[in-house]
Amino acid sequence: MTSRQLAILLIEDNEDDVYFMELALSRAHLEPPIHIADNGQDALDYLSGAGKYADRNVHPLPQCIFLDLKLPFIDGFEILEWIQGQPALRNIPVIILTSSPEEADRQRARQLGARAYPVKPPTPEMLLDALKASPGCLPESR
Amino acid sequence: MPTLNKTTKTARKPSERRVAEDARLRLAAVVESSDDAIITKTLEGIITSWNKAAETMYGYTVAEAVGKPVTILIPVDRLNEEPAIIERLKKGEKIDHYETVRQRKNGTLIDISLTVSPIKNANGKIIGASKIARDITDRKRTERELKEARDQLASANAELERRVAERTASLERVIAQLEEFSYSVSHDLRAPVRAMKGYAQVVLEKYGEQLHSDGRELMNRVVRAGGRMEKLVHDVLTYSRIARSDLKLECVSIDKLVSDIIHQYPEMQHADISVRPPFYPVLAHEPSLVQAISNLLANGVKFVAPGTSPKLLVWSEKSSAHVRVWIKDNGIGIKPEYQNRLFRIFERLHQNKSYDGTGIGLAIVRKAVEKMGGQVGVTSDGINGSTFWIDLIAAPEPK
Repeated sequence: MTSRQLAILLIEDNEDDVYFMELALSRAHLEPPIHIADNGQDALDYLSGAGKYADRNVHPLPQCIFLDLKLPFIDGFEILEWIQGQPALRNIPVIILTSSPEEADRQRARQLGARAYPVKPPTPEMLLDALKASPGCLPESR
Repeated sequence: MPTLNKTTKTARKPSERRVAEDARLRLAAVVESSDDAIITKTLEGIITSWNKAAETMYGYTVAEAVGKPVTILIPVDRLNEEPAIIERLKKGEKIDHYETVRQRKNGTLIDISLTVSPIKNANGKIIGASKIARDITDRKRTERELKEARDQLASANAELERRVAERTASLERVIAQLEEFSYSVSHDLRAPVRAMKGYAQVVLEKYGEQLHSDGRELMNRVVRAGGRMEKLVHDVLTYSRIARSDLKLECVSIDKLVSDIIHQYPEMQHADISVRPPFYPVLAHEPSLVQAISNLLANGVKFVAPGTSPKLLVWSEKSSAHVRVWIKDNGIGIKPEYQNRLFRIFERLHQNKSYDGTGIGLAIVRKAVEKMGGQVGVTSDGINGSTFWIDLIAAPEPK
């Protein structure tokens, strides 16, 4: 593969927010393959290649992760912490996409290694800014 | 005044024996009339004299007491006190106000304070001891009652503190639940509103041309209502966040803060806002102060008569302990009779639909300023604009 295509893992339980995310990506002229994990456990399974996600040809590791904070079972901060503890995953940029404008959440996310913190609803500009802040996500930044 | 004359001069002097006898009688009378029990004993501990107060205190008559060992007065569990007292007496020591317990003839106990002094003969040899005992039963009872009262008070205090701690813990639980609730409001209530507004916008953008103009207007109304709901939830959250947080005050320079707000907030861009230095540094929580000042400025920019372009002036004044920041506008003003309601949450003092607002902005200002130990107010005649002020704690002068 000469040009690696941007693949995104979107960890989001609200299907409306999934729709607006896909809409904003398409308006930013980015139409990457997106895997959607609608709960924390599914996200961990995908990232660790467990069970039905064992085949990396079908379920490749993403170049970028968009992560909602409030999720059923395992919340966004727990996922973020878990990712930072995995040597094979900790270099994948994580962008928090949340409806919480709380400064405390923003700071905690930054401390846990999040690259950007756009607040919903996402706009094409917000997504491009967040991706620019995340090395390896946009072809121009390589 | 007695005068000396020849008669007294020639009177017969009383014999020395008589003088000594008088002194002895006086002394005996003093001992006899004392309220304290005064007894003497030999170094072997045999009672040799016994006054009236001793009779009253211990219940033994003179005849019953004299010649008996002093241990008849000592409870069994204190019998070892006597040898120790005798030992000290033999060394010539005096025992002062020794508090102990003695036993009456009828077996009841009595609290006493004891003073024991050695008695010496003409050659200076210690031959016995005098014991003065004062009944301190009342004092001891008072002390015991006082101690009991203190103990009761202490236990009542402990009980009170336990209850306060319990209620504090339960309040903290309630606050934690409210915080959880606020968070849920921010996430769960906003999500559907955001979705409705977003879908309506998508319909307008993708299918707007296919809609009748009435249909487009209705979709626009959905978008606007969604926007208002978002703003409302946002403002309620800001208010509750400031209300529940513990603001840490630091030295803040208002200069930069005001100019940042003017240059960064989009709604300030079409207004003419002048600032008149100097601005004195204050003790404040910067994010909350930004919130308060930006809300006041936005208020001044928003509430202008149609066709008037907003013009604001910001300056500050310093008194000994406070800095007052003034914000004067050329807006529609607030009639004096409404001014006391202005800073309450959800108060909107205008019906004009052209002034969009949630009625929370000024309540946020007041909550933030009060949390920083300050005050907020307004002066206006209801015609010629308003002048809002906030008082903040002045930062200490640099040394």
